[in-house]
Amino acid sequence: MRTSMKPATIGAAIAIAAFIVFVVNTNRGLAPYNGSNIATFIVVGLSLGGIYAISAGGLVVTYATTGIFNFAHGAIGCFLAFVYWELRVNRNWPAPLALFVVIFVLAPLIGVILDRALMRRLRDASLVVQLMVTVGLMLTFMGVTLTIWEPNTGRSLPHFFEGTAGVRVDGVVATWHRIITVGLALGIAVLLRFLLYRTRLGIAMRAVVDNRSLAGLTGARPGVVSGASWALGCMTAAIAGILIAPETGMVVENLTLVVLTAFAAAAIAQLKSLPWAFAGGLIVGLASAFAGEFMSFKRDWQYAPDAIPAAILLVALLFLPQARLETGSLRLTRRTERLTKPWEAVVGALVVVGLVVAWANGWIPWVVGSHFGQRTPVWLGRGAEYLVLGLIMLSLVPLIGWAGQVTFANFAIAGFGAAMYAHVGGQHGNPIGIIWVVLMCAPLGVVVALPALRLKGLYLALATIAFAQLADSLLFRHPAIINQVKTGSLYKPLDLFGFHIGSDANDRKAFVIFLAIAFGVLFFLIEALRRTRWARRWIAIADSPAASATIGINLTLSKIVVFALSGAMAGFAGTMLGLSYGALRVDSFPLLSGLPLVLLLAVGGVRYPIAAFLGAIGLLGFPALQEVFHNASWLTSATLIGPGLAAISMAYRPEGSVFYAGRDLAGLLPWRRDAREEKAAAVAKARELDVRRDEIGDLGLTRPFTPEKVAQLDRVLGVADELTRLPAAAPEVVRSGAAGD
Amino acid sequence: MALLATEEVVVRFGGVRALSEASIEVDAGRVTGLIGPNGAGKTTLFNVITGLLEPNSGRVVFDGVDITQRTPFRRARMGISRTFQKLEAFTSLSARENVLVAAEQRKAWDRSSFNPGEVAEELLQLVGIADVAEYMVGTLPTGTARLVELARALAMNPRALLLDEPSSGLNEEETQAMAGLLRRLVADGLAVLLVEHDMSFVMGTCETIYVLEFGRMIAVGPPEEIQEDPAVQAAYLGSAVAP
Repeated sequence: MRTSMKPATIGAAIAIAAFIVFVVNTNRGLAPYNGSNIATFIVVGLSLGGIYAISAGGLVVTYATTGIFNFAHGAIGCFLAFVYWELRVNRNWPAPLALFVVIFVLAPLIGVILDRALMRRLRDASLVVQLMVTVGLMLTFMGVTLTIWEPNTGRSLPHFFEGTAGVRVDGVVATWHRIITVGLALGIAVLLRFLLYRTRLGIAMRAVVDNRSLAGLTGARPGVVSGASWALGCMTAAIAGILIAPETGMVVENLTLVVLTAFAAAAIAQLKSLPWAFAGGLIVGLASAFAGEFMSFKRDWQYAPDAIPAAILLVALLFLPQARLETGSLRLTRRTERLTKPWEAVVGALVVVGLVVAWANGWIPWVVGSHFGQRTPVWLGRGAEYLVLGLIMLSLVPLIGWAGQVTFANFAIAGFGAAMYAHVGGQHGNPIGIIWVVLMCAPLGVVVALPALRLKGLYLALATIAFAQLADSLLFRHPAIINQVKTGSLYKPLDLFGFHIGSDANDRKAFVIFLAIAFGVLFFLIEALRRTRWARRWIAIADSPAASATIGINLTLSKIVVFALSGAMAGFAGTMLGLSYGALRVDSFPLLSGLPLVLLLAVGGVRYPIAAFLGAIGLLGFPALQEVFHNASWLTSATLIGPGLAAISMAYRPEGSVFYAGRDLAGLLPWRRDAREEKAAAVAKARELDVRRDEIGDLGLTRPFTPEKVAQLDRVLGVADELTRLPAAAPEVVRSGAAGD
Repeated sequence: MALLATEEVVVRFGGVRALSEASIEVDAGRVTGLIGPNGAGKTTLFNVITGLLEPNSGRVVFDGVDITQRTPFRRARMGISRTFQKLEAFTSLSARENVLVAAEQRKAWDRSSFNPGEVAEELLQLVGIADVAEYMVGTLPTGTARLVELARALAMNPRALLLDEPSSGLNEEETQAMAGLLRRLVADGLAVLLVEHDMSFVMGTCETIYVLEFGRMIAVGPPEEIQEDPAVQAAYLGSAVAP
């Protein structure tokens, strides 16, 4: 709670300020700092900032009132901007009608449906599941938008009052669109503030975050409140999308990634302060406008302006106060499992290797046939590529599955590994280079996590998204990392024990078999790692950080170790990724390509190494599906919609399909009585939990206190017997049980 | 001198004073009780002692060393161990692994030779949960999971043990066993600080009792005195928990 500035904070602030001055000075553009340029910068900055502020405001309101951070915020805005385009431009509706339908009908409708169908189920879910579902929503909305509005058609959304003069101030034209934007941002800021602090609904919204059950007892209806806040969030997303579309163009990726600016603003707002969210939006807008007006990046860094929101986000994280170790937020699991025995892990690894080797040699009859996964050079190439993606997923198992650290950066780290391998051995087919890359990527894994290591898990997800974006627009675009002139001649096949391993048609079979063996070995090692004290420690940290600290675990150190391990594995996968691509392009590793990997792993069950193999096969299914349907146009976005929908389903099946399938199958084996017993115990426990949720949530609201209800409550809450004999004291017990001590 | 002490600890949450100059002394070899109505600040004091919460002012002293600025894990390594009022067991580890992870962690500072596996096995026997050792804690009943927490806290071989309502979720028989266990532990020189609502349990095991109300220590003394104390009786009147 102490807010005094520590010397380290001041030092960091000075260092960052100096760095910004340095960057600004070395990349000065031609425009001088004169009155009219500064006025232009301010007009553009304020209007951009206004849009970002609207978007960030909605994001923060939704998070603050429901506890769920909506990664799909930008994608929903993008979808609704396309709907607006369809109505306004394609069908020529008048603007007010189109605006009304999109902002006041469709947006709230989407919000309420999302709340009803998904978000309420996520209230008690783990952070991993919450993130996967909203990221899945993001990919789904993107995929749907791309499917309905074919992306190769040129579209443009006019500015409001385009063609009118606007207002001239000191030789600078402020168009009506920009004036409206700034006005709207101000209006929405005031309105949201008023809503949250001056209306009954708003006060209920804020109460619900603090304590759901308490808010229930005081008469607020949590269901209505969360529905309203999702509706509100979607409305701001729609407004921001419609306002920004004329600036960015109607491009799905760009419109969706505008959300990074809202993420940055939300980080500045510590995810909860509405005024700071608006200030944050303005900061990002002004910074972007400043770069646009006064700076000119050299060719090597030409994409640097794209990285501004991500950079601001990372800097903001550095200055956030340390997270307190919370207690009382333990999530009870319904999962039962036992440790995989070493022999089972060996069998699993052999089955994986055996399957792939059999397929690569053409020993499996039904996929040797005419098409669909036929063992052609094309499919061998794909097999190699997707096995590599499986390796990247494998690198996430200890990190996300065990330590609970949700990262979206490992695809970018693998990309960095691929690029580095081309410099340190890949160009000669030298296997020693792989070791160098692994040694480089382990610390990179830690560096990525460093800004968010002391913060709560959601910030880590934001930081890694920001890193992936930075890598995409700075690292991979720099000729020192990926040299466009030399593409195509980056890698020679790996020379190992006389085999040639690479992406040439003749080498592909050896490549696939090599990858399968590498996957099998890593699979076994990770299963073995699960039985060590390190894995136990990571799981302990994920389950209860506070309890971990109080048994003497150094949280920071333990997290650094798992990030380094994961980074090293991603680096190895990266060298293989480079080999399988054969050539790298500057756009080989976009942020959005990394997301389906994380999602499909989670859908399989992020704690289980085998889910990485299943995830790879799942990814491979999408090109296979396209082949089956002869490249039908409605399938072009299946690689987004498929993993997206799968991830959304986690709202209903949070533990991952490996768990559910494993539990049910193990129960069928006659010698696995333990599995049946554990399942029975879990079911009984689940029933107890359901009783608890229903009873506490509704008691006193919709149901009267009856003696048997009170008795049931006491049993569930574990209240001492002597209290239950005093019916008059029972409501008091309920209250204290909900409020805690 | 007391093994563990807080000196005039103040904690404010916004405008609310959760603790006002709360001082407490916990001696080795005995059970010290901490009672008070709900919301009195008992768990807050536990959080201050174990470092989960930084006090606005005041000191925490352990074994003559001021530990107010130390991180939670450093305090744990000095020998302060605790359980939680709301369950904080590692729900996706088995009961055995829960205890094992603490015993293994002890290797980081305890140079004496011991086998974490054996320590875990002994403790599972001691608290009486050996038969559910392989079950994931998330699937166990709450009372059993609390015993897992107790075994985990003991696995660190602590010098001071803070127990936050250990008897909740236990039946009469199990509570008796818990009281017996506590007596054995303090006989070996452990310092125990006990927060508890079950008054017969508190009065039966504690040698000194502190009473908190609205963040203030309103009384301290042996059980007989506390039961007679008018301020304590007033504090409990009208509350759900009658002594």
